[in-house]
Parts: sequence; structure tokens; C-alpha cells
Amino acid sequence: MVVLAPLVGAVLTPIVARRDRRVAPWWALGVMSVTSVAAVALMVRVAQEGPFSYYMSGWVPPIGIEFRFDEVSAFIGVVCLVGWLAVLYSFRYIEWLRGLEKPRIPYYYTLLLLNLAGIIGISITGDLFNLFVFLEIVSLSGYALVAVSGERIADMAAFKYLLIGAVSSLLVLLGIGLVYALTGSLNMADVSARLADAPARPLAVAIGAFTVGFMVKAAIFPLHIWLPDAHAIAPSPVSAVLSGLVVKVGIIGMLRIYQIVYGSGAVDMNGLNQVLMWLGAISIVMGAFFAVFQDDIKMMLAYSTISNIGYIVMGLGLASSFGVIGASIHVFNHALIKATLFFGAGALIFRTGKRTLSELAGVGRSMPLTAAAMSIGAISIVGIPPTAGFLCKWYIALGAVQAEQPFFAFALVFGALFIFIYYIRMVNAFYFRPPVDPEILAVKEAPASMLVPILVLAALCLIMGVLGRLPLTFIEPAVTRLLSTAGGG
Amino acid sequence: MIEALWQNIDYVASVLLFCIGLYAMITKSNLIKKFIGLNIMETSVFAFIVALGVVEGGDAPIMGVGASPPFINPLPQSLILTGIVVAVSTTALALSLIIRIHKQCGTIEADELREME
Repeated sequence: MVVLAPLVGAVLTPIVARRDRRVAPWWALGVMSVTSVAAVALMVRVAQEGPFSYYMSGWVPPIGIEFRFDEVSAFIGVVCLVGWLAVLYSFRYIEWLRGLEKPRIPYYYTLLLLNLAGIIGISITGDLFNLFVFLEIVSLSGYALVAVSGERIADMAAFKYLLIGAVSSLLVLLGIGLVYALTGSLNMADVSARLADAPARPLAVAIGAFTVGFMVKAAIFPLHIWLPDAHAIAPSPVSAVLSGLVVKVGIIGMLRIYQIVYGSGAVDMNGLNQVLMWLGAISIVMGAFFAVFQDDIKMMLAYSTISNIGYIVMGLGLASSFGVIGASIHVFNHALIKATLFFGAGALIFRTGKRTLSELAGVGRSMPLTAAAMSIGAISIVGIPPTAGFLCKWYIALGAVQAEQPFFAFALVFGALFIFIYYIRMVNAFYFRPPVDPEILAVKEAPASMLVPILVLAALCLIMGVLGRLPLTFIEPAVTRLLSTAGGG
Repeated sequence: MIEALWQNIDYVASVLLFCIGLYAMITKSNLIKKFIGLNIMETSVFAFIVALGVVEGGDAPIMGVGASPPFINPLPQSLILTGIVVAVSTTALALSLIIRIHKQCGTIEADELREME
């Protein structure tokens, strides 16, 4: 139900909006509401009863296709929230875009809904091939959404994204093929049970293919080159979805593979963990380093995504309980924070038509609410205590200490300092620098349909910092189960 | 070593195809050629997975009069059917992007495009 609603809704959008295209956004909003209700119902059930499964048309695995809801699937909660707000945000923003002719707007909502359906599908599927299908739904709609904005280099960015993304999907498919060859099964639980007596070397190749494939999706250094252009060029609500949710698809994929392989104990994952740790650390520093030199506000946010994904991957690679917990929470919190920032940036661009920090100087005086929300987002992403970002980074740092890798805790703090520098630049530009262009003082605050998503998310950044234990109670059992099956790993 | 490779000639072929595709994708500067490279890579992975399902002397697994085992494994084929559908839609999207790039910039050579940026 939770997948079907947006999927069917997406296909129906152009038909519903055939008579009057103004229906399309409301329809999309309605579809997302239904999905959110279903998602909340599922999450409540997971919280009360633990993981459970649903079998497509009653076939029992390994023959049938399984949908499995567990703690990792709780990601759909964030997907629904950000997705719903992104649809609401699109009301005004998409109308304003030059590159998109008005009659085609319903198709934009189709793509957006398809994209969200794919992400939800990936979070809850229990079947490897299904994972690939949903991965492709997300990727294809993502490429198209990047091209929507009509900026001059949008098509080029979309094409670059498409080439690299398609190769990564192929690698995932290759990995699935290898796993199928080794085990004769595609159901995740079943594969995990059968892997125990699979030969190690082909399995290692398969895991390698999965890792590289998912790392491209997650934009880990050195496979990040597609991200800054694609995320900066896309329309702002799309940037928020891409940056907050779509890159996490790679992380979810990695988590699933870890679940399978840890469960079987067939291969020693320590080597891979080392690689992930280092790549994560390099991503943090490189992403932050490039972000410092960006003047374009969305470009800066895009590079900041790379460094934040670095945190998540490093947490996973540390493979200590605190590290993995921190990484999992950061998946949630980064989605909230980055969506706040991209929505905010979009609102600034919408009202002023400017996208560089130097031109935006002084905008805090004319758009106080947006600027305040973005400042909260900035504080939160740096990880200053009362906000959401602090908790995850604290946990990942604890994880580094726990795994007796203090160097990585150092890399983390170092990265946080860099991040601090460039967000300070942003806040400084908003409030303290004299406006370059006097017109900037005359612009109005963002319209309500854009302001509401920004403020809701900014408030959540604060609330998640204070109520940090809430996601913890959800994630802790999953992580404990994952690591205990690893044999004390 | 050579013998092992010869026995698995189908897998060797798909690895070779994969490498050819990757080479084309990286070295060619024409966007369409890059994309053809990607298509070759896709085909190689498809061929690899279909080859997994082959059973020596197997029949097509269609039930009916005169059907008798051994059958070849139908699952990889059905998976790849889905995969081909995905590849077709990727191709369609990529080609339409290339058309738009050509309309906007008047060229589809990657190096010339980079100069224009």
C-alpha cells in the first residue's frame, strides 16, 4: 500500500490534471498524505511488534516477492515527511521556473511521486531484484528531475548524472547476478542463509560490485563528481529530495548488503570496513574543503552533502555500535537538515533571483524567517549541541573512540571545523555584510506554501536535537542485531 | 588456466564486452558514442545473467504437450526482460537529453561543451 499509493498516483497525475492542470499539485499532495498515513501505521506496528513481512500475492519466499518492514524501513517516515513538504513547496516554485512550460507541470509531479515511491520501495523491499527495479525508478526519475530546471547547463548535468548513475546501477545488477549464481536465490533472508557455504572469492567480487555501485549513488569520494552539478542545478524542491533522500538510497543499499553478509558470516568484512572508513574520512574533508570555496549557495550545499555522506559512511565503516548508531541517525537528521537548507536557499532564489552568497548579502533583514530557519539548519549541520546534528556526530565520534581509531574522531572534528567555516560565511552574508544590491532589502518574505515547509523542518532540527532519544530507541535494536550477527565485529 | 577460461567462454565474453563498453564510455567525447558504450556494458551484464540460467541440452520452459525436462532456468530470463525495459527507458531519456543539449549548445562533443561552460 505504502509503495502502491505514490506509484499509482504518479501514473494517474497527468490524467487527473488533463482538464485543469491546477489540480495536479493538490492531487500529488493528497497522494503523499495517503502514503504518509500508511507509513505511520507501518512504523507504529514495527515499533510495537518488531520486523514483519508482507508477501506479494501470497507466495511465500523464496519463491514469492517479499516486502519486509524493519527498523531500516523507518526511513520511509522521513521520506514521507520531506516528500510531502517538497510537494507543498513545489506549488509556487515550479510555476515560477522559466525552463518548464506550464502544460507540462503535471509531469513534474509524476516524476516527483515516482521518485518518492522508488525510495520507499528500496527501504522496504526484501528482494534483491526488486531492490534493483526500485533503484532504477529512483535513478531514472532523478535524472529527468535534474533536467527540469531549464538552467543552461541543466541538461549536461543530467546527462553526466545519467551516465555515471547507469554504470552504478549496472554494477549493482552485476552483483545481484553473481549472488544469484552463488546461491540460486534472490530473497535477502534466504540468500543470507545460503551464503555460508558459497565460495569466498566470487562473493567478494559481488560485494565489491555492490559497494562501488551504491557508493556512486551515495556520492562518496572519489565517485562524487556527478553530485555538485546535478544537485545545484535541479529545482530547489528537487535538490532537497535528491540531497536529503536519494543519496541515502546508496546507504540503505549498503546497510542491506551488510545485513545479508553479516548474517551469513561468509566473508570477513574488515577489509571493506577499513576502506569505507578512509573514504568516509576523505569525503568529509574534501567535501568541506570544496564547499569553502563556493560562492553559489546551492553549490555549497551540494558539496556539504558529500561531506555529510562521508560522516555516515565513516560511521558504518567503524563497525562499532556507537558508530553505526550515529550513522543511522545521521541518515535521518541529515535528510531533515539538508531539506531545510535547500528549501531555504530555494526561497531566497525565488524572491531575489540571485544565487551567490556575495549577491545575497543582507538578505537576513528582508527575509528574516527564511534566514533564521537556514541559520538553524546551519548550526545543526555543524553539530552545535542543542540541535539535531550534534547527536549523530557525537555518536560517530564515540564510535571512533570505541573502535580504537582516534584518528577518525580527529578527522570528524576537523571536518566539522571546515563546515563551520563555510556556514559561518553564509550566516555572515545574511546578517552582517552590507547589501551589495539595495534591491535586496525590498524583497518580501517567501510565500506561505514555501515558508511552512522551511519552518516545519527547522523546528524539527531543534526538536530532534532535544528529543534525540526518540530515534535512538528505534535504531538501537536494529544495530545491536546487525552487529551481534557479525560475531562481535 | 586457459582451459578454465575456455570452459567459461560465455562469462569471459561478457567481461570483455563490459570492458569494451567502459573503454568507449571513458575515451569517446561524442555523447552518443559514450552512450553506445554504456549500452554495450548493459548488454554484457544482461548476457552474463542470462548465461547463468543455461542448462546443457535444456528446452525452453514452456508447459504443454511434448514438454520434457531438462528445462533451462527461466528466472534469469524474466529478470533480464525487466532489465531490458529499464535499459530502453534509460536510452530514451538519454537520447532526449542529448537532443536538448544539441538544441541549446549546438554540439554534442564533450570537450567542446566543456569549453562553452
